[in-house]
Amino acid sequence: MASDSSSGERQNLQGNVACALGAIAAGCRFYAGYPITPSSEIAEQMAARLPKVDGVFVQMEDEIASIGAILGASVGGVKSMTATSGPGFSLMQEGLGYASQAEIPCVIIDVMRGGPSTGMPTRPSQGDVMQARWGSHGDRPVIALAPASVGEVFEQMLRAFNLSETLRTPVVVLIDEAIAHLSETIDLSSSMPTPLASRKVATGDVAGFLPYAATDDGVPAMQCPGDGYRSHMTGLTHGEDGFPTQDPATVERVMRQLLGKLDRNMEQIECFETLECDDVDVLVVAYGITARAARRAVVSARERGLRAGLLRPITLWPFPERRFRELASSANTVLIPEMNAGQLCVELERLCPHPGPVVRLNRIDGECISPRQILEQIEKLHAHD
Amino acid sequence: MTDSDSSLPASFDIRDYLRTDLFPHFMCVGCGHGIALRCLLTAVHELGISKDELAVVSGIGCSGRIAAYIDANTLHVTHGRPLTFASGLKLARPDLTVVVVTGDGDCLSIGGNHLIHACRRNLDITCLMLNNEVYGMTGGQVSPTTDEGRYTTTTPLGNHEPSFDACSIATAAGASLVGREITFQAPALKNLIVEAISHPGFGFVEVISDCTEIYGRRNDLGSSTEMILSQKSGMRPESYGGALDQPFRPGNWQTGVLSRSDREEYAAAYRRRTRSARPEEQT
Amino acid sequence: MGASADRGMMEIRLSGSGGQGLVLGGRILARALLLDGLCVAQSQSYEPTSRGGLCRADVVAAESTPDHPLVGELDLLVLLDPIAAAASLELLRDEALVLADSSLADGFSDGELADVYLPGVELADVDLADIKVHSLPLYQTAKRLGAPRVANIVALGALTTLAGRWSQEAMEAAVLEEAPRRSSDLNLQAVRLGLALPEGQRVAR
Repeated sequence: MASDSSSGERQNLQGNVACALGAIAAGCRFYAGYPITPSSEIAEQMAARLPKVDGVFVQMEDEIASIGAILGASVGGVKSMTATSGPGFSLMQEGLGYASQAEIPCVIIDVMRGGPSTGMPTRPSQGDVMQARWGSHGDRPVIALAPASVGEVFEQMLRAFNLSETLRTPVVVLIDEAIAHLSETIDLSSSMPTPLASRKVATGDVAGFLPYAATDDGVPAMQCPGDGYRSHMTGLTHGEDGFPTQDPATVERVMRQLLGKLDRNMEQIECFETLECDDVDVLVVAYGITARAARRAVVSARERGLRAGLLRPITLWPFPERRFRELASSANTVLIPEMNAGQLCVELERLCPHPGPVVRLNRIDGECISPRQILEQIEKLHAHD
Repeated sequence: MTDSDSSLPASFDIRDYLRTDLFPHFMCVGCGHGIALRCLLTAVHELGISKDELAVVSGIGCSGRIAAYIDANTLHVTHGRPLTFASGLKLARPDLTVVVVTGDGDCLSIGGNHLIHACRRNLDITCLMLNNEVYGMTGGQVSPTTDEGRYTTTTPLGNHEPSFDACSIATAAGASLVGREITFQAPALKNLIVEAISHPGFGFVEVISDCTEIYGRRNDLGSSTEMILSQKSGMRPESYGGALDQPFRPGNWQTGVLSRSDREEYAAAYRRRTRSARPEEQT
Repeated sequence: MGASADRGMMEIRLSGSGGQGLVLGGRILARALLLDGLCVAQSQSYEPTSRGGLCRADVVAAESTPDHPLVGELDLLVLLDPIAAAASLELLRDEALVLADSSLADGFSDGELADVYLPGVELADVDLADIKVHSLPLYQTAKRLGAPRVANIVALGALTTLAGRWSQEAMEAAVLEEAPRRSSDLNLQAVRLGLALPEGQRVAR
């Protein structure tokens, strides 16, 4: 047999498999989940692979239980994750809010499918972009990553765990169905070695220990059952001591710290790619599988002498506002292709520095946006100049 | 509690197990939850479990607020979900003693699905369900264990719904140790909790508590003492056999250990089933 | 996402109905192209039921990771069931090659796609100018092996010879690696019969 030797470390890997491999490489040792198309292969992979690394897989009774279990495991000091799709992601919003409030690291994969409700389970969509941002009640820090290829799914899983651990916050990875079920040739041995990060561990005196004490980077050190601190964790608004409070001054202080911790660490959170952005008339902003089509379209447009460029956020939330504003200020038009009825575009309309047109290109029929569609739109926008 | 104190190890001082700096506590005068808390802490002391190894997970409601007063690793989670958090915590940290403190609404209503699956899995967790027949924290609404005919803020003309027998549910769903006690029987309750924590599997303990301030007042049930004495008169400490054939009715309590089995504990079963995947155990 | 050139790119679709082994076929094809040193992206689309519905497996291959991993202009199309035709013919690029099971092409004699009976397809809408159609007895060949289910493997063999863009060795190796082990002999026979199938057959245009 022509074996792996002829292909080196190269292999054809499905996005969902790369997700599981990335999680395990990132140090994930606990998975709890509930079956849902199109994410189920992630659970199946974790069920088979976690025992080999002395980890634990458990299929829970629903998605609410799944996120509860991973939060419990993470509190126990183990890197934990779950994976789901839109309907299950909706059920997880309660647990996501808890994780934000109590500052528990965890990673949630949402393989997006057509919605609303049961929608189209096997068809791609990017309909959960705003649910990832605003799905849980109250103001909270939100990180969501949007990989655009199978190789990037693997890399972003490492980043997701690292960000989640260092910032003590849930990280959502939004994967398009079209990438989750796509197999691509990747070489895991050549992917950039990413040092693994772990949460900052509480040290010092037990007496007077404040589990949510302010720190320079806004991220409190985390205690772990058995280490002697015996602290309290709650979903109630709490003071630095971890106990519930409604004292306005304390609430203001701890909420500012909670909401400010992403801003204070933006350098490690922000992640985007630009293509042909030096002299742009039409700036295309796209993420996930749509960014792959946009890339092809931008290359074709340049071949035709049209000045198109691509901004591809990899960290979708928080959105790379500064870079977007810079690029948008020199472009005539911003084109936003999305597989939804218009979600990220609302944010970009808000951010756009001038009233110049923000043009939407939306597809809600369960099919991916094609390079041709984007190219046609770029051509049309140029014709209007 | 003077009767029960005589059976305790001399060294037990409940203040060693409480975060007394949080006092005064929030519980109403006459609330049975305090007795349950004391029984839990006495059991922990008797078993020699260190506070560092103890994790208490609670949900939302009056029962949920109890965790904060325990000087251990305490996790006060979302409504109905303490069993899910506890499952993850126990699987990640088998070295910990994990106790869930929950209520009738938390455990049987919003968390009902989690309860039956926690029973089915049979993880080594102890679940203490404090049943006061009402949603006390939110002001006295009907709960899944409210007796028929009772008045609550959402059954102003009397409750028309039948109530759950939590212990039958737990038994049917596979919990490997199920028991019930009333707070009047504090020493027996403590012993039941000791048994449930020692038991290698899912231990479900229903504590018949009382809500004097809200539920008792609205239903003319008298003082806390009167409510507890009324529970005592309805107590039937006989064996559980045949109990399932009779219609369940709150106030007519079978108490003690009601069912027990030696079903394999979840983590042990998981390790056994996945042994072939663990290279270090292929000897 | 690698450098944008998509050199040596080709887009291939295997299409038919659920149960014809197309997803496995796509995986084998992707493996063969990988073994030949290409970077591939393989996707599939099927209806929620696993039998009978429209099903397709797509492979995009290039010398480096393709910019866009989904098909848009097909170079090669395999048709195992007429229900699959409507969605795919409009994607054919000029000089594309179509391999259809001969059972789909009654009366097909001179290589005119227009003569092929394809329900639901208004062929007038398709520019057929430079499209080469090959109609081969894929199912018949599989039946001769006593296993109609390996028609997908026969098709891969035939496509390998007709396209001439990846090696026969890679295809045989990929079949052995990806198809169920217990039927390795059967699959090897099927792919070899497929490889030889275009020989002596009239090739259209």
